[in-house]
Amino acid sequence: MAEAKANKRVNDDLVEALRGIVGDRLSTTDAVLGHHGRDETYHTPHPPDVVVFPEATEEVSRIVSLCAEREIPVIPFGTGTSLEGHVAALNGGVCIDLTRMNEVIRVNAEDMDVTVQAGVTRKQLNKHLRDTGLFFPVDPGADASLGGMTATRASGTTTVRYGAMRENVLALTVVLADGRIIKTSRRARKSAAGYDLTRLFVGSEGTLGVITEVTLRLYGIPEAISAAICPFPDLASAVNTSIRTIQMGVGVARIELMDEVQMEAINKHSNLDYPLQPTLLFEFHGSEAGVVEQAETVQAIAAEFDASEFRWETKTEDRNRLWQARHDAYYACMALRPGAKGFSTDVCVPISRLTECIIETRRDIDETGLMAPIVGHVGDGNFHVIVVMDFENADEVARAKAFNERLVTRALAMDGTCTGEHGIGHGKIEFLTAEHGEAVSVMRALKMAIDPMNIMNPGKIVRL
Amino acid sequence: MTKTLKPETAEQVLDAIKWAAGEGMPLAVRGQGSKDGFGRAVDIPHCLDLTGLSGIKAYEPSELYMTALAATPVAEIEAALRQNNQQMSFEPPNMGILYGGANGESEGSIGGAIGCNLAGPRRIQAGAARDHFLGFNAVSGRGEVFKSGGTVVKNVTGFDLSKLLAGSFGTLAVMTDVTFKVMPAAEKTRTVLILGADDAGAMVAMAASLGSANEVSAAAHLPEAAAALSGVSYVADAGQAVTAVRVEGPGPSVEHRCRALTALLKEFGEIEELHSENSALLWREIRDVRLFDAIDNQIWRLSVPPAAGANVVASLRSDIGGRVFYDWGGGLIWLSMGTLSDAGHETVRAAVADTGGHATLIRADADVRQRVPVFEPQATVLKDLSARVKQGFDPNGVLNPGRMVEGE
Repeated sequence: MAEAKANKRVNDDLVEALRGIVGDRLSTTDAVLGHHGRDETYHTPHPPDVVVFPEATEEVSRIVSLCAEREIPVIPFGTGTSLEGHVAALNGGVCIDLTRMNEVIRVNAEDMDVTVQAGVTRKQLNKHLRDTGLFFPVDPGADASLGGMTATRASGTTTVRYGAMRENVLALTVVLADGRIIKTSRRARKSAAGYDLTRLFVGSEGTLGVITEVTLRLYGIPEAISAAICPFPDLASAVNTSIRTIQMGVGVARIELMDEVQMEAINKHSNLDYPLQPTLLFEFHGSEAGVVEQAETVQAIAAEFDASEFRWETKTEDRNRLWQARHDAYYACMALRPGAKGFSTDVCVPISRLTECIIETRRDIDETGLMAPIVGHVGDGNFHVIVVMDFENADEVARAKAFNERLVTRALAMDGTCTGEHGIGHGKIEFLTAEHGEAVSVMRALKMAIDPMNIMNPGKIVRL
Repeated sequence: MTKTLKPETAEQVLDAIKWAAGEGMPLAVRGQGSKDGFGRAVDIPHCLDLTGLSGIKAYEPSELYMTALAATPVAEIEAALRQNNQQMSFEPPNMGILYGGANGESEGSIGGAIGCNLAGPRRIQAGAARDHFLGFNAVSGRGEVFKSGGTVVKNVTGFDLSKLLAGSFGTLAVMTDVTFKVMPAAEKTRTVLILGADDAGAMVAMAASLGSANEVSAAAHLPEAAAALSGVSYVADAGQAVTAVRVEGPGPSVEHRCRALTALLKEFGEIEELHSENSALLWREIRDVRLFDAIDNQIWRLSVPPAAGANVVASLRSDIGGRVFYDWGGGLIWLSMGTLSDAGHETVRAAVADTGGHATLIRADADVRQRVPVFEPQATVLKDLSARVKQGFDPNGVLNPGRMVEGE
């Protein structure tokens, strides 16, 4: 798995020089190194040689300069909740843990944007915004850092209405591979000065530079919010309802699918009593009248597809419990099989192919005999199969991987993608080649032009 | 000797670029030619004319995307969408009227609209062209065929090459086809007009509209001189400034929101309302930058934080004069003026720089666009990074060299 283009190794001199920059905010203990080389999945951990905890962009710049001089790998780290081995130090190197850069720098309520340091988490930001009437919508399952969410181009349950990180990042401060600091955009939103460098870094997975500050678009908290939970007799009816809703252009804020296995998991995990049927969760945002109108439209569509009921969650606490249960879906799956862990797939297909893809996948799961609930951001055509398994059991791991390969092949045959939101890391490099072929060589040329020494998170997205 | 290469297929585009890269021969990349006057004026003898790559390749209304060859006229795409009550939500402007180029009022090609990342008034609600751009097939300046993205609405498969190509003015790669989102068109459109608000008041009114729960899809302010040029009689005959706020959607919802907006905005001036047809015409005029007098040859597009717009305009008025109107809730200012040999660029850029904004010289004679930076000059490190991006895609500098930045 080592990167073809050789990196140099960390030595004591470098550690001392780093100490000159960050003082005691540095660690080489096994526990800390281990924690920083591991994500939430079955990928083999690859610990870095040293972890530093800078508090300012200028410190990051000095750290990267030092590494550049010595051709040492640099791996940016937020909360370590990525899923495709993004944080693995494949060739060792210096891990830059950004969690101490956790200051909300400036809220511009008037222009509805905010600038944060990269280590601020999404929940921390929304807590900070509580009194402003504004909120930040992108909500992946984990309480991830906004720098990490930017680097992995994260999305969430509200993407169908508010977009993902790529639509909501306005500007970045980035430390380049030679240590120089750039601000990618000015404050005026609709920027057209040169190439879109902001979005080049959104989703670059730490391979082009270290993101240290992020300016994000904010939204007004809607005047009215309502949510509904809607069980269906079968999976196809649920998915078809979501497709029809999107095709009619109803502006739902959230539309999420959970199959009956997942419903059982969240009932167990969160002590709830939802029916054990394929279920859609909806949320509507807007004016009082707008919300009612949207909900009525969707209710009519659901009825056409034999929804058994349309249960309203009008109280804020009921609604919060519903969405927390959805966000905990991944962890809830572990409740189905104590001691097991989850491995999540991530395909995305054009909305019109979604039913076909999900039904075939369900059949595949049943034939393979895996325990594997389905959850989906069905409004985006994206769904996850969470394979609940024993990572120590080689046979089970092999069966899960083979299942995932079939799933990706199926999605690609439907003009879909191998990853709607988790990214490439090093876990999906082979799939990227299968999906994009020649584009990989274009990405490689771009990587070499921007990081010629291949020190920025080497071995992720493209191998040099 | 000038040569025009007119490929009919993606393979022929590849051949042309391989030839150019091999000979070190720059190519001017051209679709329908509606935006020939956009960007730095460059003298490139050889032209890669893409008009042979035209036509819709894949469109099933239920799929909510369309794939079209790069030089497909926007007009053809819009006609096909209209038959199915769909639209491109980013409202690509028709710059052909502004430039009045060789092809008269050509509405331009879809590749050109995306390559220049152009979006109309709905930008503030629906995003820019790049936000609707799902994927493409292209040939890089290295002579490699590649694709990116696809037909799905989100993917995280490596570097976001679609976003990079949107707004790259053909300097990185030549797209041979593009795939983009299409959406159901609104059933009904209404525009609430406020009459007589001054610039500063209009900015506040627009901010209030956009900050409300009424899902405003466009907000523009036309000072009296701009309003007088409209083909919509309610606007032209108002005899005063007109601020316009658009709502779209199902009928009852639109009516409800219009009432709410009227209540919200009546403190800013007398209120009028435009129905579908007049609304469509007014927003087309704003989208296509048609509300300027023919005597104004030079046009700037200023991007500023909306709250700062009125102050920028006040300072420009006293320094260099000119006429303006505002779109995007005040975040976009169109400035027109008579011919100045330097297009007043230092004054204009100084005025927006204080706000963190930037300015693009949209229209001026070629000699002016050679002397004056058309796009906002970048800081050194950014300029260097952009040069590296260009290097990564087009190391021989054969695609539209100099169109964005001198010497690159």
